[in-house]
Amino acid sequence: MPAMDPTISVSKGCFVYKNGATRAGKKASSKRKHSVGSSSPSNLLGTEITGQPFYETYNQTWRQISSHITDLQQRSYARTLDQLVEFVVSQDATDDLLPTAALLTGINQPDHLSQFDALTRRLHDQRSAQVCVLQSRDCSTLKAAVESMVFGLVEDDGGEELGEEEEDVAERDRKRLRRSQCTMKQLKSWYMNNFSSERKPYHLVVILPDFECFSAGVLQDLILILCAHCDELPFVLVLGVATAVSAVHGTLPYHVSSKIRLRVFQTQAAPVGLNEVLEKVLLSPKYAFHLSGKAFKFLTHIFLYYDFSVHGFIQGFKYCLMEHFFAGNAFALCSEYSRALSRIQQLTHTDMESIRRLPSFRPYVEGINDCKRVIAILTDDEYLKKKLPQLLRDCHIHFLLFRSALEFLTELVCDLPRCPLGKLRRELYVHCLNRPLASTSEFKECWQMLSFLSRDEFVGKVKRSLEKVESFLTEEIAPLELGESCAAVLRPQLVEIRRALDEVIEASMTPVTASISEDTRLPSTDISQVASRQELKAQLLQRSKEDKHRQDQRQPTSEFARALQKTLRLIETNLVLDNLRCLQDAPPLHELFVFNDIATVRRNIIGAPRAALHTALNNPHFYLQCKCCELREQSLLVSTLPDLSVAYKLHLECGRMINLFDWLQAFRSVLNGGDDENEESNQEQIDPQIQARFTRAVAELQFLGYIKMSKRKTDHATRLTW
Amino acid sequence: MTEICAAMEALFPCREATIETLGDLIGDCEDVYPSAIYLFGHSGTGKTSITREFLRECGRRQKVRTAHLNAIECYTTKIMLENLLDSLASGQGPIKADNMLDFVEQLRRWHDDPEGLSEGFLIAVDNAERLRDMDANVLPVLLRLQQLTKLNLCVILMSQLPFEKFYNKTGLSDVIILHLAQYNKGETQRILASDFSQMRGNLIKKYAKEHDRLEIFKEVMTEDFYNNYMNIFLSVFYKACRDLPELQLTARKCFSIYLEPVLDGSVEATDISRLWRHIAGPLRSALTQIYMRIEKPLDEAEGSTNLEDQSVRKMAQSLELPYYAKYLLIAAFLASHNAANQDKRLFVKHHGKQRKRMQTVNARAKTTEKMSTFVGPKSFSIDRLLAIFYAILEEKVGLTCNLLSQISTLVHLKLLSFVSGEQNIMDGSARLECTVGLEFVLQIGKVVGFNVRQYLCDFM
Repeated sequence: MPAMDPTISVSKGCFVYKNGATRAGKKASSKRKHSVGSSSPSNLLGTEITGQPFYETYNQTWRQISSHITDLQQRSYARTLDQLVEFVVSQDATDDLLPTAALLTGINQPDHLSQFDALTRRLHDQRSAQVCVLQSRDCSTLKAAVESMVFGLVEDDGGEELGEEEEDVAERDRKRLRRSQCTMKQLKSWYMNNFSSERKPYHLVVILPDFECFSAGVLQDLILILCAHCDELPFVLVLGVATAVSAVHGTLPYHVSSKIRLRVFQTQAAPVGLNEVLEKVLLSPKYAFHLSGKAFKFLTHIFLYYDFSVHGFIQGFKYCLMEHFFAGNAFALCSEYSRALSRIQQLTHTDMESIRRLPSFRPYVEGINDCKRVIAILTDDEYLKKKLPQLLRDCHIHFLLFRSALEFLTELVCDLPRCPLGKLRRELYVHCLNRPLASTSEFKECWQMLSFLSRDEFVGKVKRSLEKVESFLTEEIAPLELGESCAAVLRPQLVEIRRALDEVIEASMTPVTASISEDTRLPSTDISQVASRQELKAQLLQRSKEDKHRQDQRQPTSEFARALQKTLRLIETNLVLDNLRCLQDAPPLHELFVFNDIATVRRNIIGAPRAALHTALNNPHFYLQCKCCELREQSLLVSTLPDLSVAYKLHLECGRMINLFDWLQAFRSVLNGGDDENEESNQEQIDPQIQARFTRAVAELQFLGYIKMSKRKTDHATRLTW
Repeated sequence: MTEICAAMEALFPCREATIETLGDLIGDCEDVYPSAIYLFGHSGTGKTSITREFLRECGRRQKVRTAHLNAIECYTTKIMLENLLDSLASGQGPIKADNMLDFVEQLRRWHDDPEGLSEGFLIAVDNAERLRDMDANVLPVLLRLQQLTKLNLCVILMSQLPFEKFYNKTGLSDVIILHLAQYNKGETQRILASDFSQMRGNLIKKYAKEHDRLEIFKEVMTEDFYNNYMNIFLSVFYKACRDLPELQLTARKCFSIYLEPVLDGSVEATDISRLWRHIAGPLRSALTQIYMRIEKPLDEAEGSTNLEDQSVRKMAQSLELPYYAKYLLIAAFLASHNAANQDKRLFVKHHGKQRKRMQTVNARAKTTEKMSTFVGPKSFSIDRLLAIFYAILEEKVGLTCNLLSQISTLVHLKLLSFVSGEQNIMDGSARLECTVGLEFVLQIGKVVGFNVRQYLCDFM
């Protein structure tokens, strides 16, 4: 480990740094945006950390990935945004209706703020609108709503586009502006001063990103006000609707909804967005870092089962990335091949040791026959360093091959009925990495279904798969460093499959082996001779078994079927067994590239407050690490435990209602522990100190929300948890 | 005054009586105005537009200062007063008025000021029912403003409510009440048909590119043809909606559909029964969308057809929820529509046998009125919600932050709502209820493969 940094701590601490981000003001944030571009971000960590090779690699990888993701998201937003911007710009005050755009965003609202930011930026670029994003938390009353809207519109200076003198005007405006002065009247005069001279109408866009959270009354009044001013101020309303259009009509009564002109825009669904990110970025062969099947599944699980938050997913992924690289400088090798080669020489003895401790290193060493070489690898750093490039190269090529073969398999099985292996690339990825694919029942089912296909279907499918891999090889793999060598390995295999496929095309349907079919007639034992029903049953069972057995043994009856089987076998051996190996069979040192520490991630990114509190109170030793509270068994009660913990454990034994006096007695007896002799005498008299401690513990429990004093029954407390 | 009335009557057909009365009351600024006029009638009967036009005409032809304001905007009294002063003073710079006293003082000053050459002041207040919720002195002062300021001033209040709804404990001074009745069918048709020439002009512009269509259009588009259309249109819509602007908007939208077969040449312009058969369908679908104002983008006219029939089924399927959120919603529905004492029987595997007694059997004999799915949701606590959630979910999941935050997400989406105790969620006394219907939940259950009916007391 490097020297201890003040922020690296063994305990689970949380460090607060003031970095100026606390001010949510528009100005501050826009200034920060500029500074990010020039200097490197996040200098929270000292140079001891940022100087390390692993940090450098991490930083570089993350920056690549995040820019890739942002780029992708921008592109997927673009279509809806274009429509929206066009809608806003094309509005002209023909009638006194309020033009309104309802953007169906999907249920995760915080995620979509970025989308509205993009819209704002786009509108500013066109210099056609002032934009105000109105959050529901600012609009508890109509007064607050109008004030923050006017303030937002007047303050919104549209980036740097204002000229020098306009800036001055804006500056003066701002100085004059107080919250209580922000009224519609003020807005109108401001608009007349600044924009009345322009020929095309300069729109005032009001964005409500979380439509559902607004209180209906405020919203109705706000819309009525906007509508009343619509003829003088060209307002455009944009609603971010999370559920469906019917929510809009549910909230607005007729007399309000008849004042607006609604246009509905649909955005991309969140799962679609995630799939895009997954397939284009996370599964891209460009990056050396990979998630193991379990980690991958875990993150997608959070997304699909809990929150539908793409942003949350990306943050989770980032956490995995950090966790991976933070394991040590050896992980700096997880980058492009050439860069990794240059890093090898920088590795220290500890780094080499950590490489030797990787689980996959052991089978590698055991695989070497030569005794001397084994010793050299285990003891001589220089020797291992010489060996490393070859090992890394193997890993890289393995992942490239894996990815290409995955492409083939996805195309092959994605549209089978019932999709036994799943139809998305990510599902297949998880399947392949978790277990040896060829031995799973799902895989066998798939293969069986494939063999039932008609000739045209089968040929078409395999051809499509081959084309997919070819294009994948040329488009994605070829530009990469080791792309050539990967293609060199894969191409002959593909050629072989193609040849087999040609055979399938040419093969005739005529049966080849008629001989076997003869003896199928053979067991013509007469069922009529059976004595009892049970006997009949047994016979039938046996016969069906025999039939099945024969079917298994029987060779495919036609040339076509044979050719088909051969192709399938080729695919299985060449692609599935060779390339789609599960993680256990991956080449040595694959741990450098694959993140698999799912337990840590789970512990750290999923909060379980109730469980944590229970552990803390039930077994304080877990957190305190003190000698006095060590418990042999969870349920044990010791007098040295903290009072709160004792009270908590006692309350767990009670039912819904807890008698305070009994509780106190139990509490006292725990504290007094072994000394029984004076218990008799103290039966009536309770030590005031103990009583005070008890009262305090009960109050704390109440504060934590475990109990509540009952109003119905005197001297009883109600348990609030189950 | 007569000029004003004449100008107005051309603009507002079928409102001659009202305009005349208004003209008698405030038409001439040299006469003494009445102190206050109360104008009421349903939406779309022309209260605001007539008043606005009237004030404009008065301001133009006579030395009258006018102010028109919307009471919704006036969330504080100060805003209302300053707005009033601003428009009455018309460009003398901002005048401050913090309260009613300042306001009245300011008006009195104008009275004393010899240079104030205006003889009359007219103030119109839209949505006057909001005045009731403002400071207690606002409404009484407005009604007696003439008396207080000694100006020749009239306040016109407009609302949809009858004036009886304004009475309060302290009483109000008398006002002149004018009622604008709803238009009857004949009047509606007359008004709708009155925009014939405008409509014709618009459509000629629209078809200017396509020459042959333009020819047919010019030939066909006669007053008779348009009146026929309006007749058909009103026969469908008049029962559902009497709001004039709304009718006007929809009529314009549907007219081009009506016109289409005639322009194509497939139907003669005089063949009304065939035209009717052609238009009936579109009209009926337009009827379901009245007031909704959903505008279709041009390029997605076909794609957005599913927006029209927002049936529950489609909505439930289109609503994207995470897997556990769906289960939470189902659990919330079950908790809302089952009695708590039935939980054990429903969700615990070995709940023991239930004794059947005649009394309970009789009590159970459910009629539809008693079905809890018909009665509506009951409230439940978060603990019960989670207990049911864990009971109906086969797999084991931890009670994590992510799961708990789903509850608040559902509340945000208005699928659940707090009944009480929103402030003290911590001590477990907050109660929620499920706001979605049975049909919706059945659909969600179908998506996740869970039979909701099986767990509802009503269907056992």
